[in-house]
Amino acid sequence: MTEKKLRIALAGNANVGKSLTGESEVLIQREGRWEIARLRDIVEHTLASQPSARLGDSEISTPNSLFVVSLDPETMRAVKAKVSKVLRHRETRRLVRVRTRSGRVVTATRDHNFIVMLNGELRVVEGEHLSPGDRIPILEETPPVPEGISSTKISWDVVERIEEVNPKGEYVYDLVVEGYENFMLANGLFVHNSVIFNQLTGLHQHIGNWPGKTVEKAEGTLHFKGYEIDIIDLPGIYSLSTFSLEELISREYIAVEKPDIVINVVDASVLERNLFFTLQLMELETPMVIALNQMDIAAKKGIKIDCKKLEKLLGVPVVPTVAITGRGIYQLLEKAVEAAEKGGIKPLRIEYGEEVEERIRKLTDLIEKIEFKYPARWTAIKLLEGDREVEREIQKIKPEIVQTARRLSKEIEKIHGHPCSTVITSERYEVAGRIVREVQQIVTPIKPSLSERIHEITTHRVLGYLVMGLVLLAVFYSIFAFGDYASGILEDLLYGLEPPFKAIFGEGLLGDLLWGGVMEGLIAGITIVLPYIVPFYLILYMLEDSGYLSRIAFLTDSVMHKMGLHGKAFIPIMLAYGCNVPACLSCRIMETQRERLLAAFVVTLVPCAAVTVIVLGLVGRFVGVNWALTLYIVNIILVFVLGRFAFNILPGEPTALIMEMSDYRIPHLKTVLKQTWFRLEEYIKIAFPLIMVSSFLIKTIEVLGLLGVFQAVLSPVATVWLGLPREVGITLIFGILRKELMLVMLAAILGTTDFGKVLTPTQMIVFTIVAMLYIPCIATIAALAKEFGWRKALLITVFEVLFAITAGGIASRLLTLINPPY
Amino acid sequence: MRVPLTFLKAGETGIVTFITVPSRGGGPRGRGWGLRKRLVDMGLTPGTRVTVIKSAPFRGPMEILVRGSRLALGRGMAERVYVEIDR
Repeated sequence: MTEKKLRIALAGNANVGKSLTGESEVLIQREGRWEIARLRDIVEHTLASQPSARLGDSEISTPNSLFVVSLDPETMRAVKAKVSKVLRHRETRRLVRVRTRSGRVVTATRDHNFIVMLNGELRVVEGEHLSPGDRIPILEETPPVPEGISSTKISWDVVERIEEVNPKGEYVYDLVVEGYENFMLANGLFVHNSVIFNQLTGLHQHIGNWPGKTVEKAEGTLHFKGYEIDIIDLPGIYSLSTFSLEELISREYIAVEKPDIVINVVDASVLERNLFFTLQLMELETPMVIALNQMDIAAKKGIKIDCKKLEKLLGVPVVPTVAITGRGIYQLLEKAVEAAEKGGIKPLRIEYGEEVEERIRKLTDLIEKIEFKYPARWTAIKLLEGDREVEREIQKIKPEIVQTARRLSKEIEKIHGHPCSTVITSERYEVAGRIVREVQQIVTPIKPSLSERIHEITTHRVLGYLVMGLVLLAVFYSIFAFGDYASGILEDLLYGLEPPFKAIFGEGLLGDLLWGGVMEGLIAGITIVLPYIVPFYLILYMLEDSGYLSRIAFLTDSVMHKMGLHGKAFIPIMLAYGCNVPACLSCRIMETQRERLLAAFVVTLVPCAAVTVIVLGLVGRFVGVNWALTLYIVNIILVFVLGRFAFNILPGEPTALIMEMSDYRIPHLKTVLKQTWFRLEEYIKIAFPLIMVSSFLIKTIEVLGLLGVFQAVLSPVATVWLGLPREVGITLIFGILRKELMLVMLAAILGTTDFGKVLTPTQMIVFTIVAMLYIPCIATIAALAKEFGWRKALLITVFEVLFAITAGGIASRLLTLINPPY
Repeated sequence: MRVPLTFLKAGETGIVTFITVPSRGGGPRGRGWGLRKRLVDMGLTPGTRVTVIKSAPFRGPMEILVRGSRLALGRGMAERVYVEIDR
């Protein structure tokens, strides 16, 4: 049987997944009889006898008539509940074993959820975050429990110990109990049920870039109910107006590629803002299903949402889901497939004020006469809003329409006294607000949660900076300490390959070229990537996922403004102290192309880890730590001055910081690992070939005895302008290829590692200044070219080389003049 | 009284009345188009209640509460948002 194909696009954010071990015993009613069965047997039996579906790495099936005991949180009594789904998935991570005071034991994946009583209310907590003393519901009198189960009262047990254990067996299992979302184990413990969310968004087997754009594209395939479903994760967006690339890509995908269904993941805890986006998706007239996500967080904030009402108001199916537990995902997919089978349910239409509607109608009539990829009404609204992309495209087809739209939009502006785009956006927000007021109820007063308290501290005017300083210090210290240690070990290990390698290829020219050229380049790559880049990315994405990076952006905004950027630019700059290549790539977080370029330019001026080695190894060691520190301060000042300079000459609109600081959360490991892996792959693709080619070139030049030629050419610059020994100039050229080799090369050329004997302090400082300021390395140039094109990359390179040499020359003269006591 | 959002002290609430854009250009397609659009898209539409939570030091961004979510707003942006103080 060939599978039918479906394409589902995800718009919004989602994630996560978890289970119990197969050994767990559950009290079930099967074929009318109550019995105790192992979870493994229950699930395997259903999988074998019923049709099953694959959802990412889980296998799911629907049992025929299977009942369990659940806890009804409303009445706090045990009830008989139907199991709607069973599932199993592979698990290799460590599990947690929870033991209660009464000796009851349950083993589950670390992220499996438990129900606990906290401050007088039932909460769902992940296993690894349980703590001794937490109260969990149990049924004192367990089997045999007959039908009269509801008369049995819940009692409480207390968590005594939580420990990690290794998984036994290949699979872990779980049940889905709709409505109650929990079930009772044979020992009387109630546990929360499954959990399939990450299969939807976490299955990205392929993460790449959108064609021609530097925005991430994530897609994956899953098999469900006889369909092969392509899931495309649309990049994060707030509004569908062309402000950022992400938004442009998403709406173009929806309009041109026409996915069968768009799943709009809506954050229930910030419903109004999210609905604003939903309304715009609806205007694209795309068939859609809404996943009302983060229902648990909403509940914690005391927010209650009437899904049925929301469904009616929007005319779109709404499925409540919980990202952490994965609740509702199966239903979500079911709804999506069902909607696609029906040919998609067109959402309701949002009505604007009459004076706007009238003009939308006029424009729509005009647009309907031409061929255009977007829906006519949507196009009309966008034209009234002054959307540049849409205008540009319509201009090509029929310029008169754009003229009319501008006139109509002016009319609306006259009526309202606000620009037309503001009027339309306000009305959209008003609709969103009205819907929210109808479906949402705040049931409990909001009290400061832990997340809020952490937010308070991390954005505090004094404590915030203190925490930031400590965090950054810890990050850099741990990365450099670990990196230094690990790269040493790796290097020893890999250089151990030299004798056997030379034995194969000989000690002659070939062996020398291959080892010194290709292999050493490879080793250099590996000893940078594994010990430094990997931890850097891991920590960065952990901080990002937790929400801390947005707080750093908040705190550093005013400083970043001094160089014409805003708070978000602090992140690439921070990365740059590790390595400029990922830093250049991370400039994508800035909103506009102008800011991305500006940030990338600043980033390339920041001394990376390899430059730090030069600064500390040369100036720090032979001239003094104070001088090394001075160089860093001078560098920071230059970064600010040059950033400001670039800011002033670059054309375009400056933007300021505007971002949401969402609630803190515990970083999701899978997301972090995925991000790290994707970035790493990209880094390896850009940097590795270049590092190897460069090593090969250096070695070839050396073997062919061409060093002298380069020296002769460079000597005027090196000796006359910079005042350096003739031989030193050459290391500056090769520094572009492999900066971390500059000291090694310098030692080889000067014939000693005791640089203090052959170079004067002034010479060392000048040399270091040049190394610090000119273009970091060829891999950085490639990263720049990838992001901004070769022309801009070369422009930056040439500018920085000239600037570095100029600065070096000036420093040389100044230092000679002042003649400071070193 | 209509004042820029930056005039509000921590804890004060205002109702957005209008947003100004840089003088050069202006209009629906001028320099300020994107800036205004961004603000309005984040929910700062005329008539919206905005509560200032705090300001970062050294003329840093403001933390504000809009439509149930927490936003960081650069000072340059906040100065363009005019509000009617609601006491």
